[in-house]
Amino acid sequence: MDDETKQKIKERYQRQVNRGERFWPDSIFKDLIVSLAIFTLLILLATFIGVASEPKADPSDTSYIPRPEWYFLFLFKFLAIYGQIPVLGKIEWIATVLVPGIAMLVLTLLPFIDRTPNRYYTKRALPISIMALVVVDIILLTLMADVPTVSENGSKLVGWLQAVAGLAIPGLTMIALFLMAFAFKNISAKTMFWMTAIASVLMIGFTGSVLAIAPKPTATAEGTVATTLVDQIFAGQDLYSVNCTECHGDDGKVTKIEGVKGLEGKEIPPINGHDVLYTLDDASLAEVIAYGRPDAGMNPFGKTYNPAGLSKSEIDYIVIFMRYTWDDRFEMPAEALKPLFPPLAEGEVPSYDVHIQPIVKRYCLACHRAGKENNNFLMDSYENILSTGDNKDKDIIAGDPNSYFLQVIQGHAIPDPKDPTKTLIRTMPPNSQLKPNIVDALIRWIMAGMPRTAEDAAKLTVTPAPATGPAGTPSVTPTP
Amino acid sequence: MWKKIFDWLDERLGLVDLYKNLLDRPEPQGNWWNTLGSASLFLFIMQAVTGIFLTVYYTPSPDHAYDSINYIMNGVAFGWLIRGIHHWGATLMVIVVFVHMLRVFFTASFKYPREMTWLIGVGLFLLTLGMGFTGYLLPWNQKSYWATTVGTQIAGTVPFLGDFILKALRGGSNLSALTLQRFFAAHIWMLPAALAGLIGAHLYLIIKHGESHFPTKDD
Amino acid sequence: MPDNELNRRDFIKVTTGIVGGLIGAAIGLPAISYLLDPAFKSGGKEAWIPVGKIADMEIGRPYPFSFTRVQVNGWERTSTSHGGFAIRKSEDPKDIVILNSRCTHLGCTVNWKDDAQAFLCPCHDAKFSEEGMVLDGPPPRPLDRYADFRLTDDGILEIFYKES
Repeated sequence: MDDETKQKIKERYQRQVNRGERFWPDSIFKDLIVSLAIFTLLILLATFIGVASEPKADPSDTSYIPRPEWYFLFLFKFLAIYGQIPVLGKIEWIATVLVPGIAMLVLTLLPFIDRTPNRYYTKRALPISIMALVVVDIILLTLMADVPTVSENGSKLVGWLQAVAGLAIPGLTMIALFLMAFAFKNISAKTMFWMTAIASVLMIGFTGSVLAIAPKPTATAEGTVATTLVDQIFAGQDLYSVNCTECHGDDGKVTKIEGVKGLEGKEIPPINGHDVLYTLDDASLAEVIAYGRPDAGMNPFGKTYNPAGLSKSEIDYIVIFMRYTWDDRFEMPAEALKPLFPPLAEGEVPSYDVHIQPIVKRYCLACHRAGKENNNFLMDSYENILSTGDNKDKDIIAGDPNSYFLQVIQGHAIPDPKDPTKTLIRTMPPNSQLKPNIVDALIRWIMAGMPRTAEDAAKLTVTPAPATGPAGTPSVTPTP
Repeated sequence: MWKKIFDWLDERLGLVDLYKNLLDRPEPQGNWWNTLGSASLFLFIMQAVTGIFLTVYYTPSPDHAYDSINYIMNGVAFGWLIRGIHHWGATLMVIVVFVHMLRVFFTASFKYPREMTWLIGVGLFLLTLGMGFTGYLLPWNQKSYWATTVGTQIAGTVPFLGDFILKALRGGSNLSALTLQRFFAAHIWMLPAALAGLIGAHLYLIIKHGESHFPTKDD
Repeated sequence: MPDNELNRRDFIKVTTGIVGGLIGAAIGLPAISYLLDPAFKSGGKEAWIPVGKIADMEIGRPYPFSFTRVQVNGWERTSTSHGGFAIRKSEDPKDIVILNSRCTHLGCTVNWKDDAQAFLCPCHDAKFSEEGMVLDGPPPRPLDRYADFRLTDDGILEIFYKES
C-alpha cells in the first residue's frame, strides 16, 4: 500500500470524524444501553432458566453419550459428515486438525491476504460471500448436530442429506465463487451475492428435510438429580429399598440373609451400626457399594461391571441416606422425617397411588421385580401386582382375608398343597416383620377391592359416623 | 474548596488530560453494531466478577468439585444467581465476540491501519473459546466430564504429536484430578491474564486509531 | 441550539451514571450477601446427648464419657470428639457435676487420677479438683461444665450440647 492511498484513507476518516459524535457521552451511552440489555438478559436467564443439575461425573459409566459444548457442536457434526467420505474420511486428522487449522490461519492472516484498500461491500463480493456461507453452514451444522448420520433402520439417507447440506453445497458454491472472482473477472458482485443467497436457501432446505425426517429425540429417562439434602435422603431411601433391602433388610440390621438365591443363609454384619458407619467414611462406603465385597459375597452395584448399575450420584445418595438414618452423630433434618404414607383415618380406604406404592417400593420391590427369584410375582406396577405371579389366582383376592398375600405379611407361611411339609410361600418380607400400620393399610386395601387412585379409594371410604354406611361395601372396619 | 482538591489531584494525576484523551474523543457517527466490542468487554468484566465470587466456595478436586457447586447452587444466598450469570455469560460471550468479529469482517474494519487490532482480536476470540472449554469441565458432572474427554481426544488426533498434546492437556493419559486442576489453573489464572493483557492492547489500538467508520460507496 | 445540545449531553451523562449504578447494585448487593452468607447462618445445632446410665455411676467417682458429633460445613462433614466426666455428689439424681475434659489452658484432655484425687492435664501438669477447680498449674479458669442435663425415664443421664 503506497503512501498516497494511506493518505486518502486518513483524509476520508477525518471527514467522517468531523461529521461524527463524541466518544463520551454519545458512544458510551449506546454501549451502556446494550450492556444493560445484556445484563437484563443474563439476570432473566439465570433466574428463569438457571443451570440444569447434572449427575456427578462417573468415569466408569461408558454408556454416557458425550457431547461437546454447544459452540463446538458444528465441528463435531462436520467431523461426522466428513467421516462418511470414502477413503479420505478415514484420515481423521484432516477434519480435526487440518481444516480447522487452515480456517483459523486464514482468519488470522486476513488483513495480509485481503490487502486491497476497498471496504464497501460491492467491492468485496468474494470474501463476504464466503464468510456468509461459512456462517450459515456453522449455524446449520449446529442445528443438525443431534441427528445421527445413520438412521436406526440402517438407512444412509439422513447422512447423505446432511452431507449435501453441510458439505457439498457450501463447498461447490465456494469453488464456483472463486472461479467467478478470478477466472471470469467481469462477473458483478450482485451475481455472486445472489448465488450465495440461493446456495444458503438450498442448504437451509436440505437441513430442514434432515430435521423433518430425523427421528424425534426421545425424552431420555435420566435419573433425576437430587440437589437438596432432604431430596438426596429420599432418593437414597428409594434406591436403598430397591437395591439393598433384599439382603440387608429395610433397616440394615440383617445378620443372616434369607431368600436370596446363591446367598441363602449367609451371615453378614449389620450395616446400621458403628462398625460400618464410624469406620468407613463416605468415600469408602461409596466404594463398597460400587465395587461390592466379592470375597464376602456382596455384589458390585456400580457401573464398572454393569452398565445398568448405579451411577456415582445414586451411590452418593444411598451413602447420605445411611448416614442420616443410622449414624447417631448425624441429625435427620425435620423435613426428611415425613411418614411413608399419610396416616389412615378410621374407615378410610388406602389407594395404590398414595399409600400402597410407597410401601411396595420400600419393602417389596427389591425382590419382586424382573430378574429376581420371586415366583414371577412382579410388583413394579399396579397392573403387575394384580396380574402376575405363579399363584396369581390366590395371591390377591378382593375382600378375602385368606388371600395368600395377606397371610404371608401377617406371619403365616402358605404350605404347599401337594406336599404339606414344604412351604409354597414363606412369610414376607423374608427377614423382617412389617409394622402394624403397614399391615393394616395392606389389609384395608385388599379388603376394599384394591382401589388405584385416591378418588377411587375415597368413594369406598366409610365414614365411621353412626349413619348407615353403604351396604355391601367391603371394609375391615365394620360400620357400627 | 472542591476545585482546590480537584486541581491538586489533577496536577498529580493528569485527570483532565486523561479525560480529553480517553473520553472526550471525536468519533465517526456511531452505529449500533459498533457496541458489540464494548458488550464483549462488559461480559468479560461480568465473567471476571462472578468468576472471582465463585472461587470463594468452589473446590477444584474430583472429590469436592461437584458437591461444592451443589452447595453454591443450593446452600449459599444468591449462589444460583452468581453461577447462573457466569454460566449464561459464557454462552453470551462466545456469541457476542463471534458476532463482533463478523461485524469487523463485513465492514472490512480490519484494513489499514487496523491490521494489528484484528490480529489481537483473533487472539481474544481464541482465548474466549479456551475459557469456555476449560470452564466447562470445572463442575465435574457427567456432561462436562465426557465433553472434555471428547474435546481432548480430538486434540489427540494431530498426526505425530497427538499423543503428546493429549497428555499435555490432560496432565496424563486419562482425565483425572490433574486435568481438573490444570483446567482450573488455566481458567482462572493463565487465560484471564492473557485475555486482560490482549484486551488492554486492543483498547489502546482502538483509542489510537479511533473507531472505524461504517464504509460508504467511496471506501 | 447549543444550549439544547448541552442539556441533551447532561441528560445522557446523568442517565449513564444511573444505569451504571443500577448494574453495579444489581450485582453488588447479591454478591455481598453471597460472600457473607456463612456469617448469617444460624450456627450451632443443639441436641441431647446420652452420657450413660445413672445406675452405673458411683457416687463421688468421676464417670468418664465421650461422644462424637458431626458438623456439616458446606459440603464437608467433620466429626469432632468430645469427652467429659460426670460426678454424682449424692444419692440425689439431680446432684451431679458434669465437666468437660478439655483443659482450659491449651485444650489437652485431662484424666482422673485416683491417687491424686484430681484431674491431671498431661501437657503442663495442671491439676483440677473433682469440682473442676484449678488446684495447680497454668489454667486460667476451672474446667467447663455441661450445666444443662436431664434424666430420662429409663435412668439415662443426658446432657444438652450446643455446637459452637
